[in-house]
Amino acid sequence: MIVCVAVVGHQNNPLYIQSFTEEDDALKLHHIVHCSLDVVDERVNNPKKSGPTLNETFLGLLYPTENYKVYGYLTNTKVKFILVTTDLDVRDADVRNFFRRFHAAYVDAVSNPFHIPGKKITSKTFSERVSAIVKSFGLSSAG
Amino acid sequence: MVDPATTPLGKMLLDEITPVVMVLRTPLVEESCLKNGLSLLQILTPFSNFNNIDVPVRTSSDQPYRLQKFKLRLFYESDIRQPNLEVAKERLKQVITQAGEKDLSELCSDPPQLSNVVSSTESENLPSWFQFFNKELIHTVSFSDHEAFDHPVACLLVVSSKDEQPINRFIDLFNTNKLPSLLNDGSMDPKILKHYLLVHDNQDGSSEKAAKILTEMRSTFGPNECRLLCINSSQDGQIDHQDNPWDLYKPDTSPSQHLGCFLNIDDFNEIKDLMQELSSKHIIPYMEQKIRVLNQQVSATRKGFRNQLKNLWWRKGKDDTFDSPTGSMYTFSSIESQIRILGDYAFMLRDYELALSNYRLISTDYKLDKAWKRYAGVQEMMGLTYFMLDQSRKEAEYCMENAFSTYLKTGSSGQQNSTRCGLWWVEMLKARDQCKEAATVYFRICGEEPLYSAVMLEQASYCYLLSKPPMLHKYGFHLILSGDRYKKCDQIKHAIRTYRSATSVYRGTTWGHIKDHIHFHIGQWYALLGMYDVAVAHMLEVLACSNESKTTQEVFLRDFLQIVQKTGKTFEVLKLQLPVINISSLKVIFEDHRTYASPAAASVKESLWYSLEEDMTPSLSTTRSNWLELQSKVIPKKYKESNICVAGEAVKVDIEFKNPLQIPISISSVTLICELSVKSDEIESDSNSSTSEPRNDVESQKLTATKYTMDGSSDISSFTLSEIDISIGGGETIMVQLMVTPKVEGILNIVGVRWKLSGSVVGLYKFESNLVKKKIARGRRNANYSSGNDLKFIVIKSLPKLEGIIHSLPERAYTGHLRQLVLELRNQSEFPVKNLKMKVSQPRFLSVGMHDELDTKFPACLEKKTNSELSGADGNCSRVPQAVFLFPEDISIHGETPLSWPLWLHAAVPGNISLYITIYYEMGDTSSIIKYRTLRMHYNLQVLPSLNVLFQISPCPSRLKHFLVHLDVMNQTISESFQIHQLSTVGHQWEISLLQPFDTIFPLQSLYAGQALSCFFMLKNCGEESISSDIISSPSRILGNDASLQGSSDTLFDISGSPLADFHHCERLQQRVSSQDDPNAVDFILISRPPKSDTVSGISDPQYIYSHHACHCSTSGTGPITWLIDGPRTMHHNFFASFCEIDLRMTIYNSSDTAVFIRVNTYDSPNSNGQSSDVTTHSNCCSYRKSIRMA
Repeated sequence: MIVCVAVVGHQNNPLYIQSFTEEDDALKLHHIVHCSLDVVDERVNNPKKSGPTLNETFLGLLYPTENYKVYGYLTNTKVKFILVTTDLDVRDADVRNFFRRFHAAYVDAVSNPFHIPGKKITSKTFSERVSAIVKSFGLSSAG
Repeated sequence: MVDPATTPLGKMLLDEITPVVMVLRTPLVEESCLKNGLSLLQILTPFSNFNNIDVPVRTSSDQPYRLQKFKLRLFYESDIRQPNLEVAKERLKQVITQAGEKDLSELCSDPPQLSNVVSSTESENLPSWFQFFNKELIHTVSFSDHEAFDHPVACLLVVSSKDEQPINRFIDLFNTNKLPSLLNDGSMDPKILKHYLLVHDNQDGSSEKAAKILTEMRSTFGPNECRLLCINSSQDGQIDHQDNPWDLYKPDTSPSQHLGCFLNIDDFNEIKDLMQELSSKHIIPYMEQKIRVLNQQVSATRKGFRNQLKNLWWRKGKDDTFDSPTGSMYTFSSIESQIRILGDYAFMLRDYELALSNYRLISTDYKLDKAWKRYAGVQEMMGLTYFMLDQSRKEAEYCMENAFSTYLKTGSSGQQNSTRCGLWWVEMLKARDQCKEAATVYFRICGEEPLYSAVMLEQASYCYLLSKPPMLHKYGFHLILSGDRYKKCDQIKHAIRTYRSATSVYRGTTWGHIKDHIHFHIGQWYALLGMYDVAVAHMLEVLACSNESKTTQEVFLRDFLQIVQKTGKTFEVLKLQLPVINISSLKVIFEDHRTYASPAAASVKESLWYSLEEDMTPSLSTTRSNWLELQSKVIPKKYKESNICVAGEAVKVDIEFKNPLQIPISISSVTLICELSVKSDEIESDSNSSTSEPRNDVESQKLTATKYTMDGSSDISSFTLSEIDISIGGGETIMVQLMVTPKVEGILNIVGVRWKLSGSVVGLYKFESNLVKKKIARGRRNANYSSGNDLKFIVIKSLPKLEGIIHSLPERAYTGHLRQLVLELRNQSEFPVKNLKMKVSQPRFLSVGMHDELDTKFPACLEKKTNSELSGADGNCSRVPQAVFLFPEDISIHGETPLSWPLWLHAAVPGNISLYITIYYEMGDTSSIIKYRTLRMHYNLQVLPSLNVLFQISPCPSRLKHFLVHLDVMNQTISESFQIHQLSTVGHQWEISLLQPFDTIFPLQSLYAGQALSCFFMLKNCGEESISSDIISSPSRILGNDASLQGSSDTLFDISGSPLADFHHCERLQQRVSSQDDPNAVDFILISRPPKSDTVSGISDPQYIYSHHACHCSTSGTGPITWLIDGPRTMHHNFFASFCEIDLRMTIYNSSDTAVFIRVNTYDSPNSNGQSSDVTTHSNCCSYRKSIRMA
């Protein structure tokens, strides 16, 4: 299950954080997302380590914490997408697919002329769409 | 690559993994030593550390090498056992608490800037107590049976010369039941190197007896193993050692106590020699010896292919029989233990190659035996050996990791060991600049014990900080994690320290949720420590947490207020974030020569007023320059650009307060902060004489009054402030108007605003600090003012000020609404005002009446009077509506008596109408700076559609100059009903009459909502040219003809009366279609009234009527020519007689001014030719007679 998705701006400012858990662990997830930015920076600045994934938006598994797996994605405008999931065996393809759809939703959201770049995304449509994408995560592989 | 031995880990290993010497002593020895304030162990310890021992060592190989540094670890026999876990825990806790206390002073200082933290070096960052703590933590697992380097290599037996039977004492000392369990339970060889020491206290007499005992000892224990040590040679105990070697080892002594005060230089050297000899002549050779022996043994049994095979086979067999995870079956005599001892001894003597090969050998054995703890211990040592050899980092790390995880596998007992292993591992990684990896290891070390994990996490965070490039996000995160754990263990000071460090990471970022959490907790913790001031400072940061949930906001606010209450102080906080002040909403309303009747008037654009007043304020430019000149004389140049306000008149400041939270907050005592500097008279006179140097002569005295109560201290202050209490609901924005009323002349400066949040915290907001973007309520001034000046006012002495109000002006009215209003003007001051003028922006809607109209009763005054009175009324209405209305000269208003003046309102067209009225007046007193003032009034009127009136005029088919008027009236209102009263035409030449009696077409008296009415009128043009033109030239003289639509019961209204005629003129101007007036156009006025109330008496008639004006209704059809053929309708004729001749009369009417050429063609019959005749008419009728002959 995806517990959290986040959009982080190129100055590491949070643009959108949404958790999908029942319990009150927003702070924890904020920390996890914030923390994973270090790894994103590392991946981006040391492309050697990522090797073949050079110039790819999908950053792969950023780091496994005790209960979560954190995946990252970097757009061309240096906006980072972070995905936190509790599924311990996730297929990369699923995650890639998720990020592709999430990216599309994000692009649509920021294309809104009333959206100010660099400000938090407040679009309701965007969050609805994200929820839908999150819900459908992993279903494609099962079906 | 740096030498591994010089790295922190290398130093630590050289320190920690050294031969242990067990010290056994009699109580009398201890007694003698304690005279110096030291125990025997403490006396010996400083001398057991050799920096330059220079001993040749030969281990397995034939090549000897020299040892330079060497150390012995001395322990009493009672200490050689595994430390009690609980005691150790308690000790560690103490270490942490002490460290926390030490940092207390730092807690009050500001947290460091992130950039500083990153750039500063390691030593500055790391709290020094970490190292100490780590060491203590490592010591908790010393003297374990699975490793040999903690096992005593030698034993030092010490007996005092005072002891009875010293030889027996020596033997007794090595009595097995007192010895540590390690020697007894078989995990180590009880036959260890023994050294016998006889201590002689020189204070007890000469050493002769001791020498005797020594010879006895030598004969008993062997000549080399015995030694005499004389101490306390100084008699007076005043020896003060330079660089006291014991200070280091016993740091908690008071400075007055001289450590080793009885030990003189001879004793000193003797102890030194003793230890030197013990290590170089006994311990090291002993170890060499043992290594060689063991090595031979191992080689014989384990080295070589045959032995390995044998070992494997044997192991396999043993595997079936033994399955003991503890591995306690390895006694000292077992080959495994022997190899381990060999390895450890080799390690201690720095023969790392030998150590490594033996560790490798034993490691596989233990693994096969599943003796995990021992296996892990060996792996650990292998890792360290690799490190010391500076070989194969990968191997080293692999070994450490293997050891670490294997320790963990062994259960709770391995926990401590794994911690030690982890710490070594971390040090190893740090030594190789692999800080990031070190941090993850720290993270793995932290187990369930929250206190240890707190320390470990904090160390991990510093690793992230030190890694290249620094990983600040993780630094912050681990600090927070660590802080949480500190808090769990009630180490609040540590928790605050970590959180404070973390704030530097999050400062300036937009991670609000995290920031709020941090500041809130720091605040809470400071409050727990009783440091409320700092607590409040942190709590302030979280107050405006708009993105938190409602409950969180409530908690934040509640806790904040609690803490503030605990401080017992009233805080004044600059830029308190609750509520948020919208500085762009700041609007200053003040009155100089412009005064406003209502706030609505003040908010109207200045340009609008300006255009309205332009032609009223007499010769503005000259007045203005005069005014400026005058001002420059009185007011210093510095303030010339400031605004002017009048003493006694309030300056109003509008400002928006916004509550960012979802919960309501209450704000009380909202006031402005103002300064009023009063000019003294002398200086003013100076400034009059010398205007060139106006800088210095301003303020002699500065009064800064900040008032908390409305009335209490108003007398002493030079100005009064208004005070407002508000409660702002969640997310609400409230516009607050604050006032300051200066009482004396001077310079008034509005500094800011202050308020009290929930009755406990005072918030201040200074306007200057922000760029004031004032909504310019003053278009006339230059735009390029500096912001400060906008809030600076020159207070001049009080002036008369008119206040005006219009009575009975409705907010909404139906179209056509006509009523009388009363303008009331008041002047509160003693001084009169004169030369009043008034201008109205929309004369179509509002016109100024005459003073005597005030008493008349409306609408009765409009009713038609008898002819004799009519002529008198004519004089009244000959007034031309002026652009500017001048009040009579003799009017001056002052004191108690207000001036009332009638106004007429006519709601001409539907829509939202803004009425602007400006009244100009001059001061009766000419000495003041301001010569005149204007009163500006602004009203909004909503005009709703009422009757839709449509006129259709068509020429009457039967009569010339007669027209049929079709009137369509439609009631467009929703509920209102109207009583159509009369239809009037304007002008002498028109006569209008009903075609049918009104009752027949419209029996109902009123036209109800939604109803329509249509009726026909006959309009007759009876006038002559002269009158027609007269009307155009002087439209004020309106005479008309009326058709009553109400039967005969009511009198008709006189449309030539004052308001109707005036408004009609306006309507004519408004409704003008073309530039050329059509002389044949007719104007209609439809007058209706609100329905009469059913009750017969008591209620007076409504004070208003409705008048609808339709102007310029064209009477002409297609052209100016109208014609009519008239003749007999029936005619009897006998055609046998003759032709029938019928006279038809054709009347042609030319309504235009010019001559028209007319040609009439007849088409009588197909056989007869058409006749045509040409006539020229000149604006006249011409009759043309024609006979039609019919066959």
